[in-house]
Amino acid sequence: MVSTDPQIWIAAFLTLAATSYAFRDNKVFKFAENIFIGVAAGHLVVMGVKNIRDYGWAHLAQGEIIYAVVFLLGILLYTRYHKEYYWLYRYPIAFLVGNGIGISIRAAIHSDFTVQIAQTASPLIASDAMGTINNIILFIGVVTALSHFIFTYEGMHQGVLGYAPKVGRWMILLALGASFGNTVMTRFGMYQGRVVFLLREWLQII
Amino acid sequence: MALVLISMIIPALNPLGLPLMVGDMSRAWYRTVDELPEGSVILFDIAFGSGGYPSLGPGTIAAFHQMFEKGHKIIMMATDLEGSMMYPLIMDSVKPEQNYGAVYGEDWVFFGYIAGGQTAMAGILGDIRALVSTDYQGNDIDSLAVMDGVNGADDFDLVASITTSGDIAEGWVYQGYSQYNRPVIGGCLSMMTTSIKPYYDTGQLLGLMDGIKGAADLEFLTKHPGDAIVSSDILSFSQTLVLIFIAVGNIAYWIQKGGNS
Repeated sequence: MVSTDPQIWIAAFLTLAATSYAFRDNKVFKFAENIFIGVAAGHLVVMGVKNIRDYGWAHLAQGEIIYAVVFLLGILLYTRYHKEYYWLYRYPIAFLVGNGIGISIRAAIHSDFTVQIAQTASPLIASDAMGTINNIILFIGVVTALSHFIFTYEGMHQGVLGYAPKVGRWMILLALGASFGNTVMTRFGMYQGRVVFLLREWLQII
Repeated sequence: MALVLISMIIPALNPLGLPLMVGDMSRAWYRTVDELPEGSVILFDIAFGSGGYPSLGPGTIAAFHQMFEKGHKIIMMATDLEGSMMYPLIMDSVKPEQNYGAVYGEDWVFFGYIAGGQTAMAGILGDIRALVSTDYQGNDIDSLAVMDGVNGADDFDLVASITTSGDIAEGWVYQGYSQYNRPVIGGCLSMMTTSIKPYYDTGQLLGLMDGIKGAADLEFLTKHPGDAIVSSDILSFSQTLVLIFIAVGNIAYWIQKGGNS
């Protein structure tokens, strides 16, 4: 029993239209693509206006004058389209970059360097055999992968020492392989969701 | 493409019932939520859109089932533009009022999309009321019982996020764990797992839900089977086909190379 809900039919049509690109670029795909872009752009505008209203204008209306500066910085972003005053857009950009770096840099150094290095430098012998094996692989992987990127000392890539960067290269390739495998799984995971939708919601055969 | 499609349709029509091996990362996510005392306050970021829904939607639904079942209070937000569109989809499946007797405003609240990425996270964890005055429906947050005594990071017993963005996943580790020292759990697409897993390995993430596989694990653990468990069979079957293609391609390459030499 095929669904009689028009919304399901529209969703099913757009799913099939998007899938058709896998066989060949065509007008039905372009149609679906343009609809998606239009809807996404419309949603972006609505959300943008809502954010300005809720997180900017609401505060200004309550008398928080500091938000006038925020609005001024926002307006200055658009001066980049003015031939004479385009340089003014650099101030809000500088503020955005400075703010972003200021908020994240301490935590980034802590999470990505301090904690990671401390964990890598932990004892090789763990409480169980698998843990010990993992620690040894991690240690060898880190040291050899880092050695692969040492280019200032030629001896690093020659003789006995040369085995370390070679092992490191294999470690990097293994990591890339795992990443690629996960990417394939993600893409399949995304598409199978639509296949299940077509079979269950639209055709109602599962 | 046709073969891939067929490889997905066959197990969908005739489920194979392949065994599901629950991973450590999903088990850790489940345990972290399970061990929280009833009534704990959880900050939850729905940071994915329609593209990520098939992979992350089922896991989010299973996660909410567990949180509502345990009687936790959930402060929801979205750092993804489409997160506010995913919220009603997810809630239509979870049905907290019908299934758990939960009440909007008393047991959970949704702030909607907040722009700014890490700036938004820092704002929410720093001082909620300095950033947010109303929820997604326009209610004053001070009029909602769930917000009583919830002002910032110290009031959250757990920070959770499920996202398609590496920046957002890392952002919650940076702000939640490193900056505010809160327990953090995360969910991400499988393709992001290799870059996010080091945060789990180092204890910065207490649990990690790895895409649709993690979602299936969570559905199994929470005893709320849904789309992810259905997907497991389909993914196992269709990816076996990919493995066969890779093997055939390599064998053909070596045979051709041998012939040429």
